[in-house]
Amino acid sequence: MGKLKETILNPLFKNNPITVLVLGICSSLAVTVELKGALVMALSVTIVTGLSSLILSLLRKTIPNRVRIIVQLVVVALLVILVDQVLRSFEATYAIDKQLSVYMGLIITNCIVMGRIEAFALGNRPLPAILDGLANGLGYGLILLIVAFFRELLGSGTLFGIPVLKALGYQGNGLMILPPMALIILGCIIWIQRSIDKELQE
Amino acid sequence: MNTEGNRYTVIYTTLVCVLVAAVLAVVSQALKPRQSANEKAETVRQVLVAAGLGEMEKWRMVDNQAVLEAFKEQIDGDPQVYTTSQLKAQNYNIKQGKPLSLPAYRFKNGVTVRAVYGSGLWGPVWGYIGLEQDNTTIAGAYFDHESETPGLGGKIKDDPSFRASFRGKAIGKDGKVEFDAISGATMTSRGLEAAIDTWMKAYIEN
Repeated sequence: MGKLKETILNPLFKNNPITVLVLGICSSLAVTVELKGALVMALSVTIVTGLSSLILSLLRKTIPNRVRIIVQLVVVALLVILVDQVLRSFEATYAIDKQLSVYMGLIITNCIVMGRIEAFALGNRPLPAILDGLANGLGYGLILLIVAFFRELLGSGTLFGIPVLKALGYQGNGLMILPPMALIILGCIIWIQRSIDKELQE
Repeated sequence: MNTEGNRYTVIYTTLVCVLVAAVLAVVSQALKPRQSANEKAETVRQVLVAAGLGEMEKWRMVDNQAVLEAFKEQIDGDPQVYTTSQLKAQNYNIKQGKPLSLPAYRFKNGVTVRAVYGSGLWGPVWGYIGLEQDNTTIAGAYFDHESETPGLGGKIKDDPSFRASFRGKAIGKDGKVEFDAISGATMTSRGLEAAIDTWMKAYIEN
């Protein structure tokens, strides 16, 4: 059981896909202006990584090695389109889906998804595979939410659109809304994580 | 079983593709009505903003049902909503030299809302422009796009100051409007300009 626990906990901290493996940076810069968008993105990526890892782990013995990347892409693309279509069907998520626009479709190219399939799902049984996929999605989502928390709070003075600092008369900081600030916050998170866990220092 | 043979590989990939295509087709068909309802409400929101009846943030707060009811209440005459695919078909007709067969939305506050449709950089751009009773002064505008670059061409929708810059401007006799282009988004701005020119001209000739 110890191994399964590690599969779940490692991607959240010690082997976080964003801060340690430095994958999926592009979308974490783009969708972290607001917590709402970041939350939907985090959940969508988690569902896609989890289910794609499960499906490909189930298929792993049947996939011809020469076309395995193509098969992986087809499965991932299917899941991403399904998530996008479902989000578009509900009133509550329609506007967020429109706002995330191309980034929703670009989950297909998120290195975390293909990376976990290649590195883990194709060589492991379905249960560890789905846990690994979900945990990596959550590890990605966790960082996304931390970055979005600071960007929304300091950028527009709100959290989930509810005025917090704004209610106290805070005017908002345009710099926080620009993508470079996401990179700087991300850098700070990496710095803090590596100073806590000395093993991660190179 | 040998999973590396050519025959196995071809059959396997074909099966995967057919299966995935079937799933997507079924899901797309099943979700279509819900998506169209959302799209219709979105169009109505955009038209209401163009008519100067409140900002988008306000209309985002209310649900689809309430938006459609507000539209029915404010519109003068037939509460028919035209989808973007209808705009696309009309755009083709205009380019062919045929007259426009879509009426403008006429509101009880005296504003008429005209649609525009054209191509941006990556895909279609469209929008709604509301005109005061004199039929030349712009009361409000809202633009949308399918796949313009966020932060650049996407600003035609995301930047409130862009659509606000249209307010109070006058439409020329030939249907032209002068507006500041978005820096870094030359193709989107030009596409939008062409869309406005073509459609306003078509409305005037109609």
